[in-house]
Amino acid sequence: MTKKMTAVLLLICLALLPVCSLADGTLNVMNYGEYIDEKVIYDFEKEFGVRINYTFNDTPESMYTKLQTGVSYDVVVTSDYMIDRLIKENNVQKMDKSVVTNLDQLSDSVKNLYFDPDNDYSAPYLWQNVVLCYDTTKIDPTKVEEKGWSILLDPELEGHVFLYDSPRDIFMIGLKALGYSMNTESRDELMEAYDWLVKMNQTIHPSFVTDEMIDGMAQGEKWMAMMYSGDATYASMENEKLAVWAPLDGTNIAYDNMFIPANATNPELANQFINYVLDYPNSMLITVETCYTSPNEKVIEDVTGPGGEFEGIESYVPRTGYEKDEIYTDNELLRTETPELLVKVKLQ
Amino acid sequence: MKSFFRMSYPYILWIAIFIVAPMFMILLYAVTRSGNDTLTFTFTLDNFARFFSDPDFIRVLLNSLRIALFTTIFCLLIGYPAALLIANLSDRAQTMMLMLLTLPMWINMLLKTYAWRGILLSTDFGSEFKVFIGMVYDFLPFMIIQIHTAIAKLDPNLLVAAYDLGANKWKSFLKVTLPLSVPGIISGITLVFLPAVSSFVIPKMLGGGDYVLIGNLIEIYFQQTGDWNFGSAISLIMALIIILAMWATKKLDRSAQED
Repeated sequence: MTKKMTAVLLLICLALLPVCSLADGTLNVMNYGEYIDEKVIYDFEKEFGVRINYTFNDTPESMYTKLQTGVSYDVVVTSDYMIDRLIKENNVQKMDKSVVTNLDQLSDSVKNLYFDPDNDYSAPYLWQNVVLCYDTTKIDPTKVEEKGWSILLDPELEGHVFLYDSPRDIFMIGLKALGYSMNTESRDELMEAYDWLVKMNQTIHPSFVTDEMIDGMAQGEKWMAMMYSGDATYASMENEKLAVWAPLDGTNIAYDNMFIPANATNPELANQFINYVLDYPNSMLITVETCYTSPNEKVIEDVTGPGGEFEGIESYVPRTGYEKDEIYTDNELLRTETPELLVKVKLQ
Repeated sequence: MKSFFRMSYPYILWIAIFIVAPMFMILLYAVTRSGNDTLTFTFTLDNFARFFSDPDFIRVLLNSLRIALFTTIFCLLIGYPAALLIANLSDRAQTMMLMLLTLPMWINMLLKTYAWRGILLSTDFGSEFKVFIGMVYDFLPFMIIQIHTAIAKLDPNLLVAAYDLGANKWKSFLKVTLPLSVPGIISGITLVFLPAVSSFVIPKMLGGGDYVLIGNLIEIYFQQTGDWNFGSAISLIMALIIILAMWATKKLDRSAQED
């Protein structure tokens, strides 16, 4: 009898376990890997007396799949076009602007973007653009600046190029090189970009990698890489031979924003966290650690100003206001077609 | 007997929830089109037609089968002599060797593959060869352990009898040890071929991003395009090939035992 009682008690304890973790004191945060200064997490935990359950994902698409399984997160950081999609699908809840007051510290370049015109649903976290990072002792800068993305068709670069293994970013290159919008809805333009990329792949045989290109370029393994500006900033600070160029064909400006999913269990604390991250000292910690651009006006001013961490490093602040640059939009044609087409590019 | 059967209920429930139900869902996804609501389904074989009518997909499938086959053959070629060698050691040395063999398996496969990436990254080997090395390294212990178990179970008196009847070492190996270790070889082949043909982490990490196997293809449709129907169809094709391979090895096993 006592044995049975113990078993029942144990079962009740087990059943209560998940309830305990849902109590007020836990905040579930999901972000990309190596995309924060951990001090921000610890400081928030200490200041608010809560525990942060911090999880990683590697792409907006895998984040979307995780959200779809019904797991509840309180704050998620992801890319512009994915937030566009999630807001349209009613998966995002409005922020409480009486709590998120630090929105006024933001730079005008990152506020009120197309997917969230009044920043009702999301607050910027970091931003960047896609650039060419190259070794000036191997490639002539005037050639890079003249040719833009088309330099990737130059047979001299064979075996010396890293490309970021992400379908939309790779197709952005093809579409921009041909003078099309990277958000095209035309299948013909997409297929033209596909042909361009096949030719590129057959000419220079690039290595399709992800984060290993950062150290790779810093250590001089290859001559050129298509990179996110934050990574290029880091690499060029490590290796002085490197230069960074945003092609004049236009490029992708990417904004990673924080949002609160509709099924968040702790929205009040989530609002507090978003506000905390936007604040000057914390945004400063994050940008210095990651080398990606802060959305905080004063932080940008201070890190690029005299004595700042990124003084004299042009790639730190992405180019804005250039008509050929674009922001990704959620686009069904590109979402469903580019991953398969990229596989085919690699197979040709 | 009846009371014992009742003890298996939890396992049957476990299998039903975590193996049968997901398999059924894959089947359901594979024969439907996306955009179904919960009540009406449009059944279709389009997903399968799409796979088999595309030469690129067939190439990926053949690449996967080829590298899995090479990995299995190579594991067998190194694994059999290694197992034989270990089986001929003293009991204590055997325990030691088997422990050394399983030691790397205590480390997460992902970490081991990362280590290989560091080693292979700066070499000039082709993507396929790098993936091949990674697979052989990861799956070799399965082959050795299976064959060793079969050889260790052999009655030493059988070999003594063979020598007694005038067979030399080579002949007694061919006539006694080899045929009796076939069950070990078969299960070794199964344990290497199956994970090799569906592996996606190893090609992803060692193949340099431009090397695509069927596992990577499946991942793309689940993780990137969100086309779970086509992804399920590829998974199902994969599963059928694996079932066929297992059936063939079973059959081989049986005919070998009858000899």
